[in-house]
Amino acid sequence: MLKRTFGLGIIVLLVLAMLSGCGQKEAKEIRIGVFEPMTGASAAGGQMTWEGIQLANELYPEVLGKKVVLYLEDNKTDKNEAANAVTRLIEQKKVVAIIGSYGSGLSMAAGPIVMKNKIPTVGCSPTNPLVTKDNPYYFRVCFIDPFQGKVMAKYAYNDLKARTAVIIRDVQDPYAVGLAEYFKKAFVELTGNPDSILAELEYNTGDQDFTAQLNTAAAKKPDVIFAPGAYGDAAIMIRQARQMKITCPFLGGDTWEAPEFIQIGGEAVEGAAFSTHYSAQAPGTEAAKQFVEAYRKKYNKEPNAFAALGFDAYCLILDAIKRAGKAEPEAIREALAATKNFKGVTGTITLDENGDANKSAVILQVKNGKFVYLTTVEPD
Amino acid sequence: MSTHANKGTLRIIVVAAVMVLLLAWAQGDLRFIGIGPWDAYFVRILNLAAINTILALSLNLVNGFTGQFSLGHAGFMAVGAYTTSLLVMTPQMKKVVFFMEPMFEPLDRICIPFLPALLVGGVVSCVFGILVGIPALRLKGDYLAIATLGFAEIIRLILQNVRRLTNGALGLKGIPQVVNLWWTFGAGVAVFLFIRGFVRSSFGRALIAIRDNETAAELMGIDVFKHKLLAFAISSFVTGIGGGLMASLLTTIDPAMFKFPLTFQILLTVVLGGMGSLSGSVIAAFIVTFMTEFLRVVDEPLQLGAYTIHVPGLRMVIFSALLVIVVVFYPRGLMGNKELTWESLSSPVSRLLRRRVAS
Repeated sequence: MLKRTFGLGIIVLLVLAMLSGCGQKEAKEIRIGVFEPMTGASAAGGQMTWEGIQLANELYPEVLGKKVVLYLEDNKTDKNEAANAVTRLIEQKKVVAIIGSYGSGLSMAAGPIVMKNKIPTVGCSPTNPLVTKDNPYYFRVCFIDPFQGKVMAKYAYNDLKARTAVIIRDVQDPYAVGLAEYFKKAFVELTGNPDSILAELEYNTGDQDFTAQLNTAAAKKPDVIFAPGAYGDAAIMIRQARQMKITCPFLGGDTWEAPEFIQIGGEAVEGAAFSTHYSAQAPGTEAAKQFVEAYRKKYNKEPNAFAALGFDAYCLILDAIKRAGKAEPEAIREALAATKNFKGVTGTITLDENGDANKSAVILQVKNGKFVYLTTVEPD
Repeated sequence: MSTHANKGTLRIIVVAAVMVLLLAWAQGDLRFIGIGPWDAYFVRILNLAAINTILALSLNLVNGFTGQFSLGHAGFMAVGAYTTSLLVMTPQMKKVVFFMEPMFEPLDRICIPFLPALLVGGVVSCVFGILVGIPALRLKGDYLAIATLGFAEIIRLILQNVRRLTNGALGLKGIPQVVNLWWTFGAGVAVFLFIRGFVRSSFGRALIAIRDNETAAELMGIDVFKHKLLAFAISSFVTGIGGGLMASLLTTIDPAMFKFPLTFQILLTVVLGGMGSLSGSVIAAFIVTFMTEFLRVVDEPLQLGAYTIHVPGLRMVIFSALLVIVVVFYPRGLMGNKELTWESLSSPVSRLLRRRVAS
């Protein structure tokens, strides 16, 4: 009897779910879909991005006199779920534009679907160049890996006067692989010495022991070590390096910008420098200051780059709708593609022919247990 | 006897006809009479459910029928998916995708139709299955699980590191989306019939004997190792096909997709349906796929009077809770090791009819 009741319960639940899923509310509103990993391995990144998007929606709830409504779908850090989520947003929620997703792989799963349905989509932090390649409907507000790799190579060459480097990269992470590749290219070009990269070493996400890689690196006596990868791995690596009396500076990418980087690394990460999307301390970024203030007030904590990029993605779409004068996907796409000098929190954004953001990067350094703004690097 | 057989054939023809009609309607092949296609979201879930069915069936053959606890499924899927994708991608697309390091010489110009590519994917996966199976199947229980899990990780690491073959961690994109409902359901039905036939044959009976008592089976003269290896090879072939179909449905793959949670998700489906029940695997694959999608409703903001409840990710909590409840009430899975038959379907209906007549 219990079994039957239970079985019946499940059927009723499923039917209810189906019915409510099909229900369409008729309203004069502009619908923007969001697909981000709210659960699964990348949940932290997805949730931070969502916080930024929500904040933007609260500050700018209207465009063209219509209310903007956000529809969030979780993609569970799973490609199939990402494709499902985007299809649901398009087919059932009838959104005119989409924001997402943290994680390049998830964005690439959505790519062909938004292209087929002609729905413009803006990625917040997918940095893999393949995301926007050959897809006129995919844009992004972050810079891509090649640019970030170049920025750090320039910084190492010009500011640190480094002439040799060792790369220790996370081979599992497309982001780290891309950054390392372009750092190498740019650094070799700057130094004019094809052997200026003394060694390219690899590790896997979550490794705890880096002594093998660090020993090899130390033996080469490089001027700098470039180690793009997750903040946790990098912090442990730098700690071990300092214990092994390796004193050369460590450089990294925007993934290092997390309070945990300093918590785990402690004194060892003092002086470590990395490129990232924005800094509230940078001069001339009124928007960033306002954003940080509003974010602190709402969430009672410090925002990071992902929240800022989420904020920018929303504002960019709103700006495009305003410029297009109507909330139709094709019109929004054209306006997005024509974006020039959009003043965002994370810098001034111009979208190039691929739909990639051409914008400045800032370099931060750890000083006295805090991220301190060093310099801004403009795109070429 | 002959009328009995006729009745059976008729039933199969009717079911097949209904299925073909429904698929044609859903796919939009009946547009000429003004109906269909169905909502693209629903069709996508159907496709996914059919692919998950294929994956669950193949895992069930090894884990449920042969009783060998293998956790290498994600690895075989990866082999099938990558082989199929690299064969069907156009040379132009390969050039775009392999922008960091060019692809290996002859392979960057090879481009073959989807069906042969899919089969090659299955065969390559099968070869890997045999290569892994020969040493691994000498192990039992937990040790086999660990060995196969290790194999899947090795495959993933190879995919990540051989950048000139797989584009490394950046993954592939632009895989032609050939699959539709005909492909996924066609492959699903073919795999179901094939595995059912296999399980019912003398090979299948031997597999079940090995599962129930390996020593006794060996005493009866069954070559245990050969049978295990055969089951493993078939399972990896089918898994490779499933991987290829999924790659074509998604049009993009990367090594991070084929981590352990993928195997776990298929294992969950098999256990939910019942280890050793083919129809159980089919039912569970559809339930799991549809449930996670339908439960998206609870992720949405809910207006309760003056309060708005919005907990993104709540659906996974509810989904897990439902699984726990199912396991409590059906500890051996929804179907146990029984199959869904016409009799088991019709008996409650006829009982209900009889009761109605009696009252």
